Amino acid sequence: MTLPEEAYAVALASMPSIGPATLRELLADDAPSAAWTRTVGASGSVRHVARIWERHTELGISVLMAGHPSWPARLVDDPGAPAIVFCLGDPTALDRVATVALVGTRAPTRYGIGVAAQLGADLAAAGVSVVSGLALGIDGAAHEGACGAGAPPIGVVAGGLDDPYPRRHARLWERVAEHGVVVSESPAGVRTEKWRFPVRNRLLAALSDVVVVVESRHHGGSRHTVDAAMALGIAVGAVPGSIRSATSEGTNALLADGAFPVCCAGDILVALSLAGASVPAPSTPKARTQRPEPGTGEDRRVYDALSPDPTSLDELARLTGLDLPSLCGALERLARAGQAVDTGGWWQRL
Amino acid sequence: MVARFPARVAWDRPFSVVLAAVASATLSGAVGRAVSVEVHVSNGLPGFTIVGLPDAAVREARDRVRADVLSSGLSWPLRRVTVNLAPSGMRKGGAGLDLPIAVGLLVATGEVDAASTQALAFCGELGLNGSLRHVPGMIALADATAPLGLVVPLCDVREAALVRGGDVHGAATLGDLARVLRGQAPWPEPPPPSGAPSTPHEPDLADVRGQAVGRRALEVAAAGRHHLLMIGPPGSGKTMLAGRLAGLLPPLTPDEALTVTRIHSAAGCSLPDGALFHRPPFRAPHHQASIVSLVGGGSWSLRPGEVSLATNGVLFLDELGEFPVGALEALRQPLEEGVIRVSRAGGTVTFPAAFHLVAAMNPCPCGEGVYEGACTCSAVARARYRRRISAPLLDRFDLVVPLSRPDPDELLSGVPGEPSTAVAVRVAAARARAAARPAPERGPDLAPDAEALLGSKLRSGVLSARGLHKVSQVGRTVADLAGEDTVSFAHVAEALSLRAGRAAVVP
Repeated sequence: MTLPEEAYAVALASMPSIGPATLRELLADDAPSAAWTRTVGASGSVRHVARIWERHTELGISVLMAGHPSWPARLVDDPGAPAIVFCLGDPTALDRVATVALVGTRAPTRYGIGVAAQLGADLAAAGVSVVSGLALGIDGAAHEGACGAGAPPIGVVAGGLDDPYPRRHARLWERVAEHGVVVSESPAGVRTEKWRFPVRNRLLAALSDVVVVVESRHHGGSRHTVDAAMALGIAVGAVPGSIRSATSEGTNALLADGAFPVCCAGDILVALSLAGASVPAPSTPKARTQRPEPGTGEDRRVYDALSPDPTSLDELARLTGLDLPSLCGALERLARAGQAVDTGGWWQRL
Repeated sequence: MVARFPARVAWDRPFSVVLAAVASATLSGAVGRAVSVEVHVSNGLPGFTIVGLPDAAVREARDRVRADVLSSGLSWPLRRVTVNLAPSGMRKGGAGLDLPIAVGLLVATGEVDAASTQALAFCGELGLNGSLRHVPGMIALADATAPLGLVVPLCDVREAALVRGGDVHGAATLGDLARVLRGQAPWPEPPPPSGAPSTPHEPDLADVRGQAVGRRALEVAAAGRHHLLMIGPPGSGKTMLAGRLAGLLPPLTPDEALTVTRIHSAAGCSLPDGALFHRPPFRAPHHQASIVSLVGGGSWSLRPGEVSLATNGVLFLDELGEFPVGALEALRQPLEEGVIRVSRAGGTVTFPAAFHLVAAMNPCPCGEGVYEGACTCSAVARARYRRRISAPLLDRFDLVVPLSRPDPDELLSGVPGEPSTAVAVRVAAARARAAARPAPERGPDLAPDAEALLGSKLRSGVLSARGLHKVSQVGRTVADLAGEDTVSFAHVAEALSLRAGRAAVVP
């Protein structure tokens, strides 16, 4: 049985003693099979290589290698790019359209989740791939919005592709692979260790034309992605947030440092065209459809007390002076008319 | 000053009676079991043995009885004394058997006439100075000794008389008792009640500023006996509100009062001045409570737990998320059935456990989870915290209310909230309405638009079938509070918002 060159590269990457940098050095000069023989010696078992290769093909994991025609164009001239990338899904999705990374904190506010999902959906609908880390919080929300909305989503993860992490996103992970692609530098069977996250964040930035931080704390993990993007000369945008919100400290600081502000998907599309990516012309934002104003009486009073930010029922009762049955009745009527929405006991105006 | 009898040693007295039998009772769980105390005095080396499965407290009765008899100036036989507690196969515990053992000795030594103790049962603990002391579970003991007349320590007369009426007598000392049994003195009168107000001070809702939703949830919970879970950050007044629920409940009915008093008596809790509880009990066990302390049990003297002490009242579990998971799951069966069966190798005891559950918890370990961006917990820590409250337990709560910190203006305004008495009037009226209404066959009577609202929530997946049932029940209570026969749109809308806190704990 003759094994493809990729099989030897995968076997090398699976060795615990070989990290991304060592692998890059090993594969810089030699073909993978030669590098394998040189590293392991003549005693290196071909059966071992075959077993690892079989496992990857069984799992449906495809392998991209630097220097091959299928290698993503964005990584071609990148000296820090990995030597090998594993893909679950369609690897051509990496090169098909312009890409935007949407990243942020794992513990976002409702505001952050809403904005991430909205940007994800709008970008995908505009024909731009959303790149994200499939982590909890902003990453997940961005892909939830982007899945099936148009352009293929791209998930960049830290561990092996056979073990979804975090487990709670296993379903989302499958959907991203189905509509687009999930990529990783780690071969199957590798556990998600801590040092792999900064490595993942670098690859995530390198695969994107623009990086946008939706919500991040002062010293959040998004900082790694932003630093990598700046080192690669990739434009960084940030969504402004309240100066009182801890989860917007990082993004507001980025804006102060010169990141471009992102208030809608159009802002990102403009940045993409400035970055030289081919994008559809940013469409003029849709004029807000005028909602019929609520009638008179209690409904009107409650509507006026609502704001676009979530307000507690206590606060609404205090502002309107209504008793709870009247207040709740008015809120449900407003919700039915599409003018208010309940988020776990907090109400906001639509 | 108690007149002293001359100390006499009865060894030279001819024994007409060498065997005396005295009726008594011992406590097993919350019920009493009749015990016959047989005292046998025979020739032989002086000694004192107790047989019949006594526990450590009963075995120690030897020393208490001897000291008490001698302190009272009564004679002690310098012979061999054997005490048997019949039926011998049943374990006996507690110091309540001191008094019948002492009386049996008095009969055996001829200090009192056997005939004078024939129609009486005795329960009481002895002190070394001749006094008679309180024993727990007097109500259950009084039940078990009927129809005999009952003699108890003077301080326990009122408690025993709750179930026995007039044939309960008390004595302050063993000497007093001996004089009465000899016919030398009448039964002493029990001390009159101290005249202190029979209802202890209950905290008032007027102390709570703002918190419209929390106050309303408390009112609805009290009116419909709905279990309530409050979720809010530290300082949002969860504990303060919960402590005021008992004050909104109507006073106990005579039957309920007796159940509550009986279980408190069996647990050895101190009883109110008039011996009978009139107000619903409020129990707030700490979150480190063991399963046994919550549901009841013990090695073989099965003691009622907090769920039983809260029967016909409120069980408040503060920091619900910090309770051991096993302890919380153990609450599910009593919540469903209203009783708790405690089984041990030695037997099974059923305690009442019809409690009104009120719980409070933080939305996440740091407690700030309700406020946007203020929470410092990781997503994993939040998920782990939420998993502590299982879905079946969460389903038992009809009301799950999110609370936020009160508005500073309202807090500082100095305007007191509505007092408990005003709310209690509405609660009583709503309960009366609900009690007067015949049980409907197909759920409560809903207005068409209310039904449409529930239907849309059911179709959109906001409500489960069980949730639908709970919301319509709560809606019924809200309508009862408003004094209306039909559950309207606004009532259902309020019922929905009173369980909106589930979003904070359901992942």
